[in-house]
Amino acid sequence: MKNITVVTLLVLASFCCHADVAQSSRTDALTGAETWEIQVDGVHFSLTQLLPDQLRAFYVNRGFTLEQIELYAASCVYMTVLRNDRAPGVIRTVSSRWPISVNNRPHELIPVEQWVERFSAAGVKKSAVIAFRWAQFPPEQEYRPGGDWNQGMLSVGLPAGSRFDIIATWDIAGNEYRAKLTEVQCAK
Amino acid sequence: MHYAGVVALFMCFVGLGQAAELPLLTHSLTPSAGQRPAPVLRLQNLDDEIVDIHDLKGKVVVVNFWATWCPPCRREMGSLERLHQATKDKNVEVLAVNVGENFDTVFSFLGTVEPSPNFQMLFDEDALSMGTWSVKGLPTTYVVGPDGRIAYEAVGGREFDHPEIVKKVIELADD
Repeated sequence: MKNITVVTLLVLASFCCHADVAQSSRTDALTGAETWEIQVDGVHFSLTQLLPDQLRAFYVNRGFTLEQIELYAASCVYMTVLRNDRAPGVIRTVSSRWPISVNNRPHELIPVEQWVERFSAAGVKKSAVIAFRWAQFPPEQEYRPGGDWNQGMLSVGLPAGSRFDIIATWDIAGNEYRAKLTEVQCAK
Repeated sequence: MHYAGVVALFMCFVGLGQAAELPLLTHSLTPSAGQRPAPVLRLQNLDDEIVDIHDLKGKVVVVNFWATWCPPCRREMGSLERLHQATKDKNVEVLAVNVGENFDTVFSFLGTVEPSPNFQMLFDEDALSMGTWSVKGLPTTYVVGPDGRIAYEAVGGREFDHPEIVKKVIELADD
């Protein structure tokens, strides 16, 4: 009986360590910014609210004027992290195509290149545009298992306080995988 | 909002990147698919000298693309110096390629890094090498073997002084 209990516990423990964790969220005590995160098939995906004042401050220090960055700062931006901890292969993702829905209606992201074109046309300093481009979450990327990851900004393009669902999708050798975060809220 | 307020908020932003629940810095170096030859890299360093990666053939070269405003880049910089210290006598060079920033910005940041970087700091103000090297996000690091081909890659922040990374770099130099 004792042996059966030990074996049962070991089996349960092995499930525990390899099981995927459900979506969770937390609030930063200092800033009030909320984070939503999930672990699916060995891949970690999280969104953390970036507050409009944080974004204004960051980009003014990179050479934008307040007027130039205002539209972006108010566009519901997240610090986005995707990390391949132990997926069964190299994952390939195109974040610019991640499905987003608001009240079950599809919503499209504004592509990074469109922001870049808009800023260049508005006369934003070249060094500031370069910083903007490379501060964004990569529109396309490959992550190898064992810890490849990126952290970058993702503009959802919704008004303050909006709620939405987002599905991070990736491909491993032709098979699609998905990690869905629901009821994510834009900073108010 | 006043400019001073914006600057103060920037400090908060940097602080946010150093808050308690930071994304992990990992410690993997994965073999590069295809082991392509290292692309062209010919840039100025802090002393206004031109550094050309092709002049370093026969050595292992760690090429790290970074920027001062990139939180994981800032966090891994000290460990990159510790890797440099552990490997500099073993036929290994470290090149950190700053993307899009000027001398003053980089120099003032380096003063905050512990231990202070002694490896080569290169400047790519137009970010052209990002395309040449197929970098898609910062930080990204390549380890070029003595044969001039990319042996390992790392996307995202790393603890470069982790024993697994130090061992792989030294073994590549010994090959």
